[in-house]
Amino acid sequence: MFKKIFLPTILTVVAYGFWISPDFKAISAGVAIFLFGMLSLEEGFKMFSGGMLENILKKSTSNLYKSIAFGTITTTFMQSSSLVSILTISFLSAGLIGLSQGIGIIFGANIGTTTGAWLVAGFGLKVDIQVYAMPMIVFGIILIFQKTKSLKGIGYILAGLGFLFLGIHYMKEGFEAFKNNIDLANFAISGYKGLFIFTGIGIFATVVMQSSHATLVLIITALAAGQITYENALALAIGANIGTTITAIIGSIGSNIQGKRLAGAHLIFNAVTGFIAIIFIYQLVYIVDFISTLVAIEKDDYALKLAVFHTIFNLIGVIVMLPLVNKLVSFLEKILKDKDLQAEEEFVTPNFLNESVLEFPSTSISAITNETLHLYDNAFDIIANALNIKTADITSSMDLKDVTAKPYGKRPLNIDNLYNHKIKNLYGEILDFSTKAQAHMPPQYIEKLYKLKLANRNIVEAVKNMKHLQKNLLKYSNSTNIHIKNQYNSIRKDLAELLRDVNSIAKTDKEDETILLLSKAKIHAQKYDITANGILDNLIREHFITNEMATSLMNDSTYAYNIRKSLIAMSEILFIDDNNDAKEMHQDMVINEDDIQHILEKKGA
Amino acid sequence: MGVKKFIDSVIEFLNLDSFKMLSKKKSIKNLLRQLRNRRAKIYRKLKENADNSKKKKELLEELEIIAIQIKKGKKILDDLDA
Repeated sequence: MFKKIFLPTILTVVAYGFWISPDFKAISAGVAIFLFGMLSLEEGFKMFSGGMLENILKKSTSNLYKSIAFGTITTTFMQSSSLVSILTISFLSAGLIGLSQGIGIIFGANIGTTTGAWLVAGFGLKVDIQVYAMPMIVFGIILIFQKTKSLKGIGYILAGLGFLFLGIHYMKEGFEAFKNNIDLANFAISGYKGLFIFTGIGIFATVVMQSSHATLVLIITALAAGQITYENALALAIGANIGTTITAIIGSIGSNIQGKRLAGAHLIFNAVTGFIAIIFIYQLVYIVDFISTLVAIEKDDYALKLAVFHTIFNLIGVIVMLPLVNKLVSFLEKILKDKDLQAEEEFVTPNFLNESVLEFPSTSISAITNETLHLYDNAFDIIANALNIKTADITSSMDLKDVTAKPYGKRPLNIDNLYNHKIKNLYGEILDFSTKAQAHMPPQYIEKLYKLKLANRNIVEAVKNMKHLQKNLLKYSNSTNIHIKNQYNSIRKDLAELLRDVNSIAKTDKEDETILLLSKAKIHAQKYDITANGILDNLIREHFITNEMATSLMNDSTYAYNIRKSLIAMSEILFIDDNNDAKEMHQDMVINEDDIQHILEKKGA
Repeated sequence: MGVKKFIDSVIEFLNLDSFKMLSKKKSIKNLLRQLRNRRAKIYRKLKENADNSKKKKELLEELEIIAIQIKKGKKILDDLDA
């Protein structure tokens, strides 16, 4: 409901503002251009992410203090704490950093963002920045049209900065003109009441604009033009600091639980900092005055004083919250519980094994078959998740290249835990039931039962091999060494393809399709093994990978091969039509080792 | 007479072995027909995807597999006839 009326209300208010005041138009255009500049700046920095940024991130966030420094420096350069917090959420989701390092970066980003106030107050208002804005936009746009990614990135950054400057210029002009018509200072409210009201306005403005930077620039320009009082400007700045957390909150909606926790930490940190600032506002004003005198800021230069205030209150927030980081992490982990983790902790119980059917061999076989399919469903989910691919993407018709191209991320799956809760327990129950059922079975059912047990073992083996594979898959899928990264992503794609084929085999009722898919899966398993060995030899010979990488890749290729073998063997037992008189013959029709060799030799693999 | 022996003698008396054989033959023939239909479809697709080398490669691989399977199916059928 709120969502539906929010946009029309904003549009109506803005349109009404345009109608009654041309100066308001100039200010709004300034804000719009400024925000556009920020978008362009973000786009530019995104062009450089994917390599350099990740490398720097990994090296610079090994502890909390390094993380804070990293957050401060990157935000100073990027001039967008929102972009830094969104990037942090994505890295946290990818498991590249821990929650406390993530919180460190957010703390740093809060310090880094204060440099924006200094730039605007110290540089933007005193120099005619429009002079710099125009060439930056022109050069930027020319570069944006270049094909090279880095030039394009520089173009976006230049144009972004140009638009930021131009936006500030328009806001400045708008407020100057506005001053002659209406004096907003008349609406100033003093005391704590005013403080709370203006903090609320600051929060609202930042939520609407999705940028504390834009709000702050607006505050500083309005303050410089004498449109708001210094006291109210301080409250607005506090509000902007709280409102800026909305970007991280929105960004975390699509992320995993770690991202949500980080957004929570951001909100708590900024709200606590804001609360402290409001409570001790008069003491803070005194400190600001004292420091301003020390650094020779003029008494009536409220814009620069606001920058000092912004820096001090964010610094105080970091100092107060720093010793509480571990407690904050525990609190967030307690409040925001991982639903996946909860699901992982639950033991899966059999759905079809009912002891009352033990005396009826045919019904027992059906029950065991259905339970084996249940075990297979669990294994399918675990393997897909360990490959960091959504089960829905595998079963869709989406191109596997696109499916696996998504960066390897998410919290590392605890396969041990999943194995114990969703596989081992169920496997144990199936074996127990099978042993009991076997006592009531005539010989013609025993072979079928034996094959079903084999299928169960294949499923368990596949999950166990996946467990071994997952460790390096997580490590090397994000490696800076492109050769090893490609190899591990190729393993992911290949296993995803197999899972898709197995799923199609399970779903189809066409015998010819089942046999064809099984045969294809067998050929691809063999082909991949041969190709992987060839590539591995080459990578070692050319020194593209280290000895450690080579050993890992060799072992992991074997694990991947075993997963393929196990799943294919399971499919042959489970999915060739059981009710068919010619089941055994159908199994004979699936190609054998000699046929595979023949086909691969023909292909020259 | 044990149950197994009794069942065997009934199968022999009613000539059910050949019935079982007939059912298997029917099943294999059905499968061979499906495979031939699929082969025809792949040939059609090959013509449609003459420019798409990736798709063409996939289809040719499927054709090779189907050829082997048809050969195997025919052999099984011959063995059943013999």
